[in-house]
Parts: sequence; structure tokens; C-alpha cells
Amino acid sequence: MFHKIALAIAFSPRMEALICESKRLKDLFNSELLLIHIGEKSQLEEGNLKTILEKHNIDLAKTKVVWETGKPVKKIIEICEKEGVDLLVAGALKNEGFFKYYLGSIARKIIRKSKCSVLTLIEPSFDRNPFQKVVINGTQQEQTPYVIAKGLEWCKLEQTKKVFIVNEIKMYGFQMATAGEGGGDEVSATRKKLVAEEVIYVENILKHLDKGDLKVNIKITCGKWAAELVRFSEDIKADLLIVGDEGNLGIFDRIFSHDLEDILGDLPCNLLIIKKYSV
Amino acid sequence: MEKLSHSEVVNLLLQLASMLILARVFAEIARKLKQPAVVGEILAGILLGPTILGSLFPGMFEFLFNSNQMSNIALDGYVQIAVVLLLFIAGLEVELNIVLSQGKKALSISFFGLVIPFAFGFIAPFFFAEFFGFVEGNRLLFSLFMGTAMAISALPVIVRTLMDLDLFKSKMGMMIVSAAMVDDIIGWMIFSIILSFMGKEANTLGIGYTILLTVGFAVFMITIGKSLINKVLPWINKRLAWPGGLISLSLAACFLAAAFTEFIGIHAIFGAFILGVAIGDSKHMTERAKEIIHQFVNNIFAPVFFVSIGLKVNFFTNFDPLLVFVVIVVAYVGKVIGCGFGALQGGMSKWESFAIGFGMNARGAMEIILGLIALEAGLISEKLFVALVVMALVTSMTSGPLMKWAMNKNKLA
Repeated sequence: MFHKIALAIAFSPRMEALICESKRLKDLFNSELLLIHIGEKSQLEEGNLKTILEKHNIDLAKTKVVWETGKPVKKIIEICEKEGVDLLVAGALKNEGFFKYYLGSIARKIIRKSKCSVLTLIEPSFDRNPFQKVVINGTQQEQTPYVIAKGLEWCKLEQTKKVFIVNEIKMYGFQMATAGEGGGDEVSATRKKLVAEEVIYVENILKHLDKGDLKVNIKITCGKWAAELVRFSEDIKADLLIVGDEGNLGIFDRIFSHDLEDILGDLPCNLLIIKKYSV
Repeated sequence: MEKLSHSEVVNLLLQLASMLILARVFAEIARKLKQPAVVGEILAGILLGPTILGSLFPGMFEFLFNSNQMSNIALDGYVQIAVVLLLFIAGLEVELNIVLSQGKKALSISFFGLVIPFAFGFIAPFFFAEFFGFVEGNRLLFSLFMGTAMAISALPVIVRTLMDLDLFKSKMGMMIVSAAMVDDIIGWMIFSIILSFMGKEANTLGIGYTILLTVGFAVFMITIGKSLINKVLPWINKRLAWPGGLISLSLAACFLAAAFTEFIGIHAIFGAFILGVAIGDSKHMTERAKEIIHQFVNNIFAPVFFVSIGLKVNFFTNFDPLLVFVVIVVAYVGKVIGCGFGALQGGMSKWESFAIGFGMNARGAMEIILGLIALEAGLISEKLFVALVVMALVTSMTSGPLMKWAMNKNKLA
């Protein structure tokens, strides 16, 4: 599924856990691992990194480490493109302050601008446990069939215990209020129809996919899909949320925040953003 | 504090009861005929007002609506609140994320769907102002109002039509909805600016200052205001009675915003509308709460407002067939050409573009609110108001069938 995985590293307390997680993914997908550090290369840091890699049995001969200087986001994205990376792993904070949100932290800038898929880990651990509760975005969008297909592929490899595909009814309140001009039967029929349509949409995608032994649940919510995904992921204590890409998001999208930006503003769990042409 | 007397209270209650009953009866008839409730409610007002009841049973009309000045003032207060609440729910219907997710095609439809009808609506009354009932005042403001009146759309009617045709969730449906949302935001902003020049403040506020205030208030509300709402709503949802706490505080915020905009010289409706946009766009405003607020306003306040239209104006004596015809033609031509051209530019087929034009053509309740405020501000004559109401009804009634016809043509093409 992924041939080359890159990890953006900073010498922070979470670096070792992020390396552990990347190693797990490298083994899972049988892919190459690339470590990217943007900053001055020092002997001390190089030594520290080597110690960590050895400690976790990472084959130094098969792991490329790139040291570059410059603007972190721009450089990381450039290196990923040059090296043909198809999954970039980065650590991120669960939520950020007002100014960081509008101006953008490095992790969020990477998510917004990266051309390859991005896995953002908010709580990387040394345990190397597979993701057990995965939520996939099933809202009606052009990229959704692709996202669901790739999401299930990932879950099959991980042998995920519970997979939820969450789809939402757009403008439910307004539609129901409009239907309210009709009689009680019409209101009830409209309510059923709205739910059924969203279930059918996901079922139609699923019937063409090999689900293996996965237990896939379809959940229908109403409201803004991103906010609903966040809420649902928090409610079930999901450990991975998989969504598609919405194109290059800028500051305008943060001011008039929508969809993906709502998730980035308050990450409910680890987040995988699948970019359509990268995998 | 002055109080209503015993007889005035009785009179007020009789007014409200008769208006609500007749509105319900005619809304049900409209529903049977597959027409929007607003059509029935306006007809109920015409029946209850000077046009029919006042002509056939003047004594009864006098007793109900002209015998107690204080009751009428109280009723007017109720109607004023209804207008503010109608604009609040119109704002709640706007979902900025849907607008942003629809991209350039929707923007093209909304841009041309706003500019071309605005131009049609502006040019004709500017050069033939007397024909449109303009007597004295500012011809430019009058023409700007007519431009806005032609550019605005009625989202509830549009959504209903799309749901009936099973097109709501289609790409075209979402494009129409988001284009209508954009047009409404801009339309109400322009109208608020026009109104601010009609009031007492006209002499003290410059045009630049008024535009700055209006745009500034809107931007503030949907950025910082929305952030504050996003912080407060989860607390309200968690700590207070649901949905009681949410509904009462949302309405309180609506009245505060309306009072603020009225205070700074922009009309109260604009505050209510923009606050509705900010609250409606919040991820913490649940769809269930929106539905309850819609039902509350649509069934308790809206009927009284629409019936009151018929009470204020005699639709028979003020019916000018030629003026009505011209207003309807300008409305159809502007909106269908504007939205249709926008859709063509966005890559839609000829018949799809027509369907979008017909879909966006519904003016419904929004046109009537706009017209009434202009009438009360002395901007338009009663004859033009009647023409606008008839146009709003005709465009709303024909939007669905014409859209269906264009979609059938598209299938055959």
C-alpha cells in the first residue's frame, strides 16, 4: 500500500516514540523508511539518533536519514516529492492555541500542503500496537470511494477489530423543517428516506470492496461532517481517523473554517489523510 | 408602564387567533395544491384584510383590526419580532462550509445570479422610475432597492423544490443551494446599506462609513463572533436544559445583535441575519436544535407576519396589472439569464442551466420581508409592494414545475 514512508523528526521528547511507530508501519507495509530532519546537523544529534535507531532494531543500512537546512515545511515537502515518499508521518499536538491555529503549526502546514498521504500521530507510543478502532469518513464526496477502499486496505493489514464508516445527512435540520410543512407521514417518511439514502451510498461503495474479516459498521449522523467525525471518534475513543484530502487549504479556510480544518483544529485521535494520487 | 386595557387584550388575542387560524387553513390548502405555505398565508391575509373582509364586511374588519389602537401597536410589535426571527432563521439556513465546498461553479452561478438580476432591477426603475411608482426621494436608492429585490432568493422554497424533485443532494442541488446562500448574504448586506440611508441617520452616516460598519459587523460575526459562539455553545448544551437553554439564549443573542445593528444605524434585520449565519455555521449548533427553532418560528411567528401583509395593504385597489407584469418579467429574465449564464460558464449544459435559473428564481418570503421593510421606510409605493408580493408568489409557485420541465428536457437532450 505504501512503498516509502518518511518521518519528519525534531529532537523532541516524542521523537523516539514516533520512530517506534514508523518502524511498525515500515514493517507492516514492508516499505522503506526515510527520516527527515530540518536543522543543523551536529555530531551529538547524529549520535543520539543512531542510538535510538539501534535500540529499536532499525537497520541503519536500509534507513536513509536526510539532514537539510531551510524552511521546515517547504523542505520536508520538497524532500518527500524528490524521494518519492507516499506516506509522511508527523507528530502533532491535539489542539493548538488561537494564533497557532490561524497561522499554522509545522505539522498542520505539512498536512495542508503535502502531496503524499499524511499520518499525524498525536500520542505516539513505544508499544507498537495496531490501530483497533478506526473511523473512516464516508461523507458524500468525490474522493470518498477511494478513501474507503484505501482505509479498508489499511485496516485489513492491521487486522483492525472495529471499523466505522461515518456518513452524515447534509442540512438535516433545514430539510426536516422544510418537510414539516407536510403532514406527519411526510415528516416520518422524509426522516427515513434521508437516513436510508446515506446508508445506501456507503453500502454501494462497500459491495465492490473486499472487506476480508473486517467488521464494518455504517453510522449516520447529521450536522457538519468534520465536526461529526470528531465527535464520533471521541465518543468511541477511536485510535485512528481516516479522511480524504480537500485540496490545498489556506488561511481563508481557517478564518471561514470548514470541514477538514475543523478536524485539524481539534484532532480527536491519530489522523490519516489519504491523498488520492499518492498511493 | 402603560398597560393594555381589558378590551384591548381581548382584541389583540382575537387578532392573533383569527390570523393563526386562517393562516393554517390556507397553508393546508396550499399544501394540498403542492404550494409553499407562504402562498396560503398571504392569501389568508388578503382575505382577512381591507381587500376582502374590509370590503365585504367593513364592520367586522373595523372591530377586529381598527377598533383599538393599542392592540394594533402590540400586534405590530409581534410582527416586528416575527421579521427579526424570520431573518434569524434565514441566517441559520446558510452553511458557509457548503458554500466553500462547492467551488468555482457555485460562485459563478451566485455571481451572475446576483449581478445580472441586480442590473436588470436597477436599470429599469432608474430610467422609468415613475412607472415603478417612484414619486419623490432618492431615485438612486430606489433603483438600488429594486436591484436588490430582483437579486434576492428564497432558500426555503428552493430547498423544498429540490427535495421534491429529488435533486437536493445532487451536485446541481448543492450548487443551487450554495449560490442562493451567497446571494442572500450579499443581498441583505446591500439592502441594509440602502436602509441605513433611509433612516434618520442618513444625514450623519457617510456611505463609506455605512459600508464599513455593515461589512465589518458581518466579518466580525462570522470570524471572532463565531469563535466565541463555538466556545459558549458547548457549555450551554452541556450545562443548561436542552433544548430550552439553547433556544432561549440563541433568540436572546439574536435580539441583542438586532438591537446592536439598529443602534449603530444598520437595520435590526441585518444583525439577526448575520447572527443566524454565525450560530448556524457553528459546529456545536445541532441539527435538531435548528429544526426546533425553524418549527417554532415558521409556525408561530411567520404565519402572523405573512397574514399581516394582507392587513396593511389593499391588494385590489393597489393591483396594477401592467406593473405586476413588468416586475414579474424583469424578475424572471434577470434571474434566469443571470443564473443560467453563470451555470453555462461553470460548464453545465443548456437545460441544466435553465433548471438552475428556474430553481434560483423563487423569491418567496424573503422578497415579501424586503418589500415590507421598504414600504414602511417609505422607499416604495403600495402598488409596487403589491407587485413585488405577487412576483414573489408567482416565482415561488412556478419554480418547481419549470425546473422539472427543464430537467426533463435535459434528459431528452
